[in-house]
Amino acid sequence: MYPKFLLLACIFSFMMTGCVGKVEIDDLALVMAVGLDKGENGAIKVTTQIVRPADARGQTGAPAGQTGDPIWSATAEGDTIFEAIRNLATFSSRRVFWAHNYAIVINEDLAREGIADIIDFFSRNQQLRMRTWVLVTPDSASEVVSTLTGLEVIPGEAVDKLFRYTTISAKSPSTQMLDLQSAYLSDTSQPVLARVQLIKRGVSNKKPGQAGAYEQVDLAGAGVFRKDKLVGILKPEEVRGLLPFIEHVESGVVVLSCPGDAEKKMSIEIKNQSFHVEPSIRDGTPAFATSLVVYGSVVEAGCPFTLSDKKDVKKIEKEMEEKLKEEIELVVKKAQEEYKSDFLELGKVFQNRYPSESREIGNWEDVFPSTLVEVNANVTINDSSILYKPTKSGG
Amino acid sequence: MKVQITNGMFMALLINMVYAKAIGLTQGSMAREVGNDIWISTIFSTFQGILMIYLLVLIIRRLPNHDVFQHSEILAGKIFGKMVCLLVFIFFLGAFGTIMATFVYHIKDFFLPDAPILLVVVVPFILGVYAIHYGIEVIARMALVGVFSILSLNLLILLGSLSELDIRELLPVFEFGVGRTIWASRHHNTDWAMAFMMAAIILPIVKQQEKWGRAGVAGIVYGGLFIVLWPILEVGVLSAEVTAQYIVSCMQMARSAEIGYFIHRYEMIMIAFFAISILTQVMMTFLCASISIQRLFSLKDYRPVIIPVCLVLTGYSYWFVFDHQRAIKIIETYWVALSMGIAIGLLLLLYILGFIFKKKVKANNKKHPSFR
Repeated sequence: MYPKFLLLACIFSFMMTGCVGKVEIDDLALVMAVGLDKGENGAIKVTTQIVRPADARGQTGAPAGQTGDPIWSATAEGDTIFEAIRNLATFSSRRVFWAHNYAIVINEDLAREGIADIIDFFSRNQQLRMRTWVLVTPDSASEVVSTLTGLEVIPGEAVDKLFRYTTISAKSPSTQMLDLQSAYLSDTSQPVLARVQLIKRGVSNKKPGQAGAYEQVDLAGAGVFRKDKLVGILKPEEVRGLLPFIEHVESGVVVLSCPGDAEKKMSIEIKNQSFHVEPSIRDGTPAFATSLVVYGSVVEAGCPFTLSDKKDVKKIEKEMEEKLKEEIELVVKKAQEEYKSDFLELGKVFQNRYPSESREIGNWEDVFPSTLVEVNANVTINDSSILYKPTKSGG
Repeated sequence: MKVQITNGMFMALLINMVYAKAIGLTQGSMAREVGNDIWISTIFSTFQGILMIYLLVLIIRRLPNHDVFQHSEILAGKIFGKMVCLLVFIFFLGAFGTIMATFVYHIKDFFLPDAPILLVVVVPFILGVYAIHYGIEVIARMALVGVFSILSLNLLILLGSLSELDIRELLPVFEFGVGRTIWASRHHNTDWAMAFMMAAIILPIVKQQEKWGRAGVAGIVYGGLFIVLWPILEVGVLSAEVTAQYIVSCMQMARSAEIGYFIHRYEMIMIAFFAISILTQVMMTFLCASISIQRLFSLKDYRPVIIPVCLVLTGYSYWFVFDHQRAIKIIETYWVALSMGIAIGLLLLLYILGFIFKKKVKANNKKHPSFR
């Protein structure tokens, strides 16, 4: 009996070494967002937004930890990202932990020089999630990461929710590490990343007169890449033409002139949208016919308007079709002529339908700028929210 | 009384024996060859697995009370029988390297990067030795739990990835041609080979031999269905290029999964489900290797050789997993040749020998009538 017990005790004591490599939660510096800028002399500057658990608890982030700041931002430089992060350890009292990171913010100057090392580092790191948002910014990424923004206590969480819940604005694509990595590795597609910038939008509650007193992170279009280099920017108003190509669009607002009065405006909310790209081969060259089908709702009218006036409805449907078509054509033109970058994933669509032909046509990068892309839009306005009659003065 | 397991347990063992490595390492290997056609390669391989298990059942049914070693001895003599014992041991030695690569790279690369390899290798050794000491019935019961774990794991990954699934990524089919897609299935065939080599040893102890064929085919079909979900999701969510980048592509899926906005980072739960399946693989490999050595030395029981056999397997696996690049190279090249050579070669040889020495089979069946 005794030797058996001893043997079991030995085995279990060995198996209880599950504690190897354990790190207590209060030994971890939980990174909520990371900013990457160009450092000095070709170095890379890494800024981490690290949560202060004592000051970030509860709904309001009440200053239990006595400092009042829910985050601690720290920056370090190195010749590589890994070295910069290791340099953070020289003054961080806790071990940097990436598993809860919400966003990777890359400065545009750095992105223009190439982000291959960034893609490699963050896709190689076993702690980081592939659903982490990846953004570019014209501002210092360090500033973006250390700015308190949004309603959340933790700014990284605010950026996360900016992308999760504000798909209705359609001002930026929602790009995650997963999308960036797969576009970068693709033979045909090129990466496109969400773009944010700091804008003085916040209004101080203590001094309401000082409108725009402090900076907030604002969705500001998209950054277009060729291979790993940033080659151009799409403005926020141009992003709506891009989104149907790369993600499912839930909503959006189109501002149109009133049918009878060009001075007055009305807003149509996109309620349902479907987009289809049909590839074909014309004279041995790839061609695409895109069709956008939109169902809209009148959510605001600066002029008396009712859906029962079929003539007016037809007019605004036509106007909206033209507008949406123009937006898509503009993005296609930019992709083909200005940036020569297939961030619209047209190459993938063609390859899927014509695999053998796509191998024969050669390098897609060379073919893409000369492909024919036809754009069609079909808008139906079938909803006027809760109003039935037009809003007009009874006098 | 001779230990027997039910047909359900046999099916569960087949499913567990193939699942872990097939979703862990195999899909990445196939993606490096045929891109987004990995799911078609997986289906092809499942069909080949069905054919092989059917052939195996035909072979074992000739002498239903005898395993593959005894078959060899009866058909072609003692020396041939011993050679088969050695070949089967080599097969399971090689198989154990690939199983431990799956286990160690899951645990160490994603959860315990600071843990020494030795620890991650020794823990399954202890569990495996402990389990096979109590025999196949214990492992077979655990395999039944393993099937529910596999179902749960599949359900969790499905729920967490479906929102990101882009079905267009599965197109075009046969991008690299039908021939290359079938050829790529050899990687997955090595997983099925582990299952039917195991079956070649344990089939005589499965009850109701008239149901062997149906249970074997059902085990392969269900196993194939559980597995094929992964390449479909990997291609549809990650893309073939990303799947090909990683050693353990399924973990890349797992760490990207989210159920709604609030349930994410649940790969620890998934790995717990996965562990039952891979530990069943470890245990069965230990058991089959021990039985082959028992038969090699004509011992009455396999228990005396458990520790030395498992030590050899564990020592080899430590060397095997030590270098990621080397391990994957072996899995994708030498292991394919070795495992296909032994598994398919042996079965075909026994099938042919069975035809040639029909009289010996009949004489043996007269001497030792089966329980049919």
